[in-house]
Amino acid sequence: MKKIMLIGFKDLTLAFRDRAALVLMLLAPFLLTVGLGFVTGRLSGSSGASGLSDIPVVLVNQDQEPLGDALVELFFSEELAGLVAPVAGADLAEARQLVDGDQAAAVVFIPQGFTRSIIPEVGSPALGEPGQGSALRIVIYVNPTRPTSAGVVQTIVEQFLARVEAGRIGGQVTVTQLITSGRIQPGQAEALGQEIGERQVSAGNATAIRLEKVSAGEAPMEFDILAYMAPGMALMFLMYTVSYGGRSILAERAQGTLPRLLVSPTSSAQVLGGKVLGIYLTGVAQLAVLILASTLLFRLQWGNPLGVAVLVLAAVFGASGWGMLLTAVARSPNQVASLGSALMLTFGILGGSFINLDALPGPIQWISRITPNAWGLDGFTSLALGGGLEQVALPVVALLVMGAVLFLIATLLFNRRSILER
Amino acid sequence: MELRMLKKVLAIIRKDTLLRFSSKAELLYFLVLPLFFTFLLAGGTQSGEGDNRIRLLIADQAGSPLSAQLIAALEASQTVRPDLLPLEQAKAEFDERRASTLLVIPPDFDLVRAQAGGVDLLLYQQPNNLNSLAAEQALLAAINQAAAALQTAQMATAEAESIQAFESEAARRLYSQDSLLAAQRLRDTAPERLVVERASTADSVEYDPAASSSAGQMITWVFIPLVGISAMFAYERQRGTLRRLLTTPTARATYLLGTITGQVLMALLQMALLLVFGIFVMKLNWGREPLGLALVLVPFALAAAALGTTLGTFIKSEGQANGLSIMIGMVFALLGGCWYPIELFPEFVRSAVKVLPTTWAMQGMLDLALRGGGPAEVLLEGGVLLGFALLFFAIGVWRFRYE
Repeated sequence: MKKIMLIGFKDLTLAFRDRAALVLMLLAPFLLTVGLGFVTGRLSGSSGASGLSDIPVVLVNQDQEPLGDALVELFFSEELAGLVAPVAGADLAEARQLVDGDQAAAVVFIPQGFTRSIIPEVGSPALGEPGQGSALRIVIYVNPTRPTSAGVVQTIVEQFLARVEAGRIGGQVTVTQLITSGRIQPGQAEALGQEIGERQVSAGNATAIRLEKVSAGEAPMEFDILAYMAPGMALMFLMYTVSYGGRSILAERAQGTLPRLLVSPTSSAQVLGGKVLGIYLTGVAQLAVLILASTLLFRLQWGNPLGVAVLVLAAVFGASGWGMLLTAVARSPNQVASLGSALMLTFGILGGSFINLDALPGPIQWISRITPNAWGLDGFTSLALGGGLEQVALPVVALLVMGAVLFLIATLLFNRRSILER
Repeated sequence: MELRMLKKVLAIIRKDTLLRFSSKAELLYFLVLPLFFTFLLAGGTQSGEGDNRIRLLIADQAGSPLSAQLIAALEASQTVRPDLLPLEQAKAEFDERRASTLLVIPPDFDLVRAQAGGVDLLLYQQPNNLNSLAAEQALLAAINQAAAALQTAQMATAEAESIQAFESEAARRLYSQDSLLAAQRLRDTAPERLVVERASTADSVEYDPAASSSAGQMITWVFIPLVGISAMFAYERQRGTLRRLLTTPTARATYLLGTITGQVLMALLQMALLLVFGIFVMKLNWGREPLGLALVLVPFALAAAALGTTLGTFIKSEGQANGLSIMIGMVFALLGGCWYPIELFPEFVRSAVKVLPTTWAMQGMLDLALRGGGPAEVLLEGGVLLGFALLFFAIGVWRFRYE
């Protein structure tokens, strides 16, 4: 056992002395986490679930009537402050040039007569008269290279129009029904219709159907997006670490230090055990450093400490299994390095480190279960949402089974290829 | 003299090609992974028979006309694709993170209860998930559509009652029902009041967000191996083969030119294969402006190769070079907007990343793919990338040592 420990700690020390390895073990996941922190708004101070803030939008209001003015006021309201950065423009052509030149995400153009196409002036044709189908339209001129920002602007305008439409229909139905039932005279219709319509617009969203949001978490708490991104990146580069360890076995064999070790009174099993322990300890140390650094620098809450520790140990075990399998099938240290990097990137995308798993189709989601990344991310997300040991039981068991099966296969392949024979 | 130099350059290109592809694993980075990533991220695996709307799980426990109306509104949405499942199955899929959003319509979701005092829907969302937020917006729009008619009916009934009381509860209910039908009829025939135009897009160009992903992946996967040229220098330096060149009359610039030219030619071949894949498999419109593409991609390849060369003059070991090239490739790709739209970054980051070649390459590709631009529109990007190439090449020549 002492020999196994010695070999293991020797490999751990070597890994952390290799500056090249440290670049991918620690620096790369750290930098990518910071980059993703900017994308998601976590490190840029913007609110919401993305980094979107101060979306530049130009408002050209040629209507200058209540509805056009209300839309402009909405964009300038406190409610949208921080999300959009509206600018009033007088000339449509100039505004469009700002979008063409990527200076703005969208132009909202409210044509002259827009309000009167919905709320006719007193004395003009009554509500519901023919000709209403040719209503004037608001035009949104969007920047295709800023699809998310443009989508936000479009949603704001759509929601405003939905309220306007609700007001128009509310006024029209109420008045028509009142006339039909004999409660009012046709002469009272216009004024009453406008009053009801405006009341319904200002009433806001309908409340007959309410939407109650339920978080996926075990306890109601705010989820920190970095609690998904940081483990995603750490797990991806964990795959590099385990292949790095595997590479060292083949490198020592090629350089002759492994045969020398085997002629000493040390059994093959002890040597393999020590190498595996070295890979395992390096992986645990890598995740521990990343967790500690993100906790201190970004005040990231990883969740239940015991759950995090158990999950880290299980995730490194599962990933180490892949590292050993890779070592058992590869023919040279360089091959382990190439295949290891490829596996790291492939598992990264399949396991959800780059994009959410739900964005992938069903069969790919099933395949993702062979990656330690997917199980690990499940566990870390549960913990960040307030879960405890019970909630990470399934990912932990899955990772342990994965590691055990892969170690078994790797050992059989090692024996067949006589890698650890004197 | 020129012929001799050309021969040397060709010999260096041949040597580098053999060296690079001496391991079959290189094919993984050259073609297999780029195609795999492009296919996955650019929507090649759409699960809904070509329908790339966000999957919204729905467990309809009511089975009422009101729930049917809501689901129909969601079916018509451009954002979400309703997928009706039994509650247990829907919850299992949601818990396994196979969908971002789950809507549960409870058994009491019907018109009578909605008119009496309102009904609740349950929305389950994965935390901080952009798809889930988009699905929520689409759901709110559908709810507003379904609930607005109800609210109108309630309002009309209350207004009538305030003027003159109903003779009976049945009369009140009938009045409310008539109002609801009238509101629904008006809503169905409501005119469009919004039109969305996309900026500077030629008629022949169909807006396709997958083009953005495809361009991002192409830039990422071409950039990483080109920056990896640094590993070739380190390998040769470690083996002592670079030192042997000292004994030959080969200028540093000739050696670097040969190395860069060879790798750039391979990168162009790689890009051509990815473009062909994009055109024929992903059905992307990359063939529209070949000259524009060349004006962006050739200078980009030169800039990336020159950057790899410069790095090669600083890095000591092959291991260092491999690690750094992957890290630099991934970080530059992320910050250059290859993975996520650059609009998501804060202003200061958007300004800062203009020092990266990946930012300009991505900008040029988006000008071509999304704005319908041509060669004239990408001259600036091509020029800046060429500037990067000259700068890095100059540093490379200055710093290059055989030992």
